[in-house]
Amino acid sequence: MQIYLPIAEMSLNALMLLGLGGMVGFLSGMFGVGGGFLMTPLLIFIGVPPAVAVGTEANQVVAASVSGALAHWRRGNVDIRMGVVLMIGGFIGSTLGVYLFTFLRGIGQIDFVIAVSYVLFLGIVGILMVVESVRAWFRSRNPAAPKRKLHYHTWLHGLPFKMRFRRSKLYISALLPLGIGVFVGILAAIMGVGGGFVMVPAMIYLLGMPTSIVVGTSLFQIVFVTANVTFLQSVNNQTVDIVLAMLLVVGSVIGAQIGVRVGSRLKGEEVRVALGLIVLAVCARVAWTLVVTPDDVFSLGIGGGH
Amino acid sequence: MSGLARLLSVLVVLCAGAPLQAQSIVADLSTREVAISTGFTGADLLLFGATEGSGDMIVTVVGPERDEIVRRKERIAGIWVNGASVTFKQAPAYYRIVASKPLTEIASEEVLSRLQIGSDRIELFTHSKRPAASILTFREAFIRNKKRLQLYSEDISDIKVVRGRLFRSNIPFPVNVPIGEYLVTVHLFKKGEHVSSEETPLTVHKVGLEAKIFDFAHNQAPWYGAIAILIALVAGWLAGVIFRRA
Repeated sequence: MQIYLPIAEMSLNALMLLGLGGMVGFLSGMFGVGGGFLMTPLLIFIGVPPAVAVGTEANQVVAASVSGALAHWRRGNVDIRMGVVLMIGGFIGSTLGVYLFTFLRGIGQIDFVIAVSYVLFLGIVGILMVVESVRAWFRSRNPAAPKRKLHYHTWLHGLPFKMRFRRSKLYISALLPLGIGVFVGILAAIMGVGGGFVMVPAMIYLLGMPTSIVVGTSLFQIVFVTANVTFLQSVNNQTVDIVLAMLLVVGSVIGAQIGVRVGSRLKGEEVRVALGLIVLAVCARVAWTLVVTPDDVFSLGIGGGH
Repeated sequence: MSGLARLLSVLVVLCAGAPLQAQSIVADLSTREVAISTGFTGADLLLFGATEGSGDMIVTVVGPERDEIVRRKERIAGIWVNGASVTFKQAPAYYRIVASKPLTEIASEEVLSRLQIGSDRIELFTHSKRPAASILTFREAFIRNKKRLQLYSEDISDIKVVRGRLFRSNIPFPVNVPIGEYLVTVHLFKKGEHVSSEETPLTVHKVGLEAKIFDFAHNQAPWYGAIAILIALVAGWLAGVIFRRA
């Protein structure tokens, strides 16, 4: 069943898009991740223009994150104060990111920057995941090994504008979460992701937040930041395809429910190794598009106006 | 159906033996508009008509003009990056040519160039300061890529002539057909001379929900963005409610 996507200006099979949403939703439910970092490259692989894939994915992540954010909110797993500081950073970062995106699109480098960002971040995150879970696996077999400290004190904790975050049991400089928010915001805008895969480790290892509130607080700010990206991409670049986003949303919410049920039966370490390997596979696939000699070194684009 | 009606009217005129003007052509399309809607996967139009007496025909279909950028990828440290680019001003987004036999057998190079018939003869203007040889490379790349996207095509045989008077030809539009105004021209040649031509306009546009969404996204972008967010929020919330009960 072919469906014409009004913004992407192409015709794709609606069932395939539902299936794609379902598959990524299944993985995101199983592993507890947003899935934007898998969906955007997959959309590009099936021929959606990279700029449309990124803009549309931001819109889809809003839908994918909101029910999780609400669930965590009800259970009180959100540090609102921390969430708001991260969100302010996220607004600044994502706004900068969308303007950078518009500029790169104008000079014909956006596809390249999207691909490089994916290779870089998927590569780093994938390797860290695999290494970390292999290490944890060894630790679990050798309980005598020394445990890690909860967090380390570095120069980062000496920054000014200290703020008390009661829920996180932290007294740290507001610049730290603000900076993380800005950085993740830029990534969200350029890569079409929520940025949870960077935000969550940063909250645990850089800020030292308790893991129980990390996911809720991350989802809370992702909803606002991806909403901001959706809005600015719509205004600046007209690259948000509502029809495409809705097909993916329907597929992914169903897939996510199945994924959560399957994921709860798997062991944590196995799940993390599997996710790490999937991330690395997507990374390798994107990297391949950068190094393989194209069929034609020339490509077409449309100029602005007349 | 209206196309069929028009075809019949042409036939009636011919059968009635009504005298066509000397060296004239009548032509029409099965439809004057291509509507892009939800199920759009491309379209095939039928061009048909009649000529007075024998001759050679060339049909050109020229799409809306717009600025087209041709970019060349360069390999830097093993990675392919977009490098130099050339912008062709007001280049036709779609160009198709159909002829009853090879172009150069119909008319001289001089005549074809004057009429800009053939993708290697259409005028492509650029402000680029690159050397002429380099611009030519970009121009060839432009036409090659357009042909790969099926937006430019040259088809020598796809014109059927019945008894030297009636003719018909297909005009295929791929799914990525650019929207805008098109002009279908039927040129008639006799003994290498261009004797007449008949122009038929054609519109390609989006219709229905697709058109509304596209126009809304481009003309009221802030509202479009706000509604996209709202729909996503409601959809996400709704999914949470449904599956919490399940």
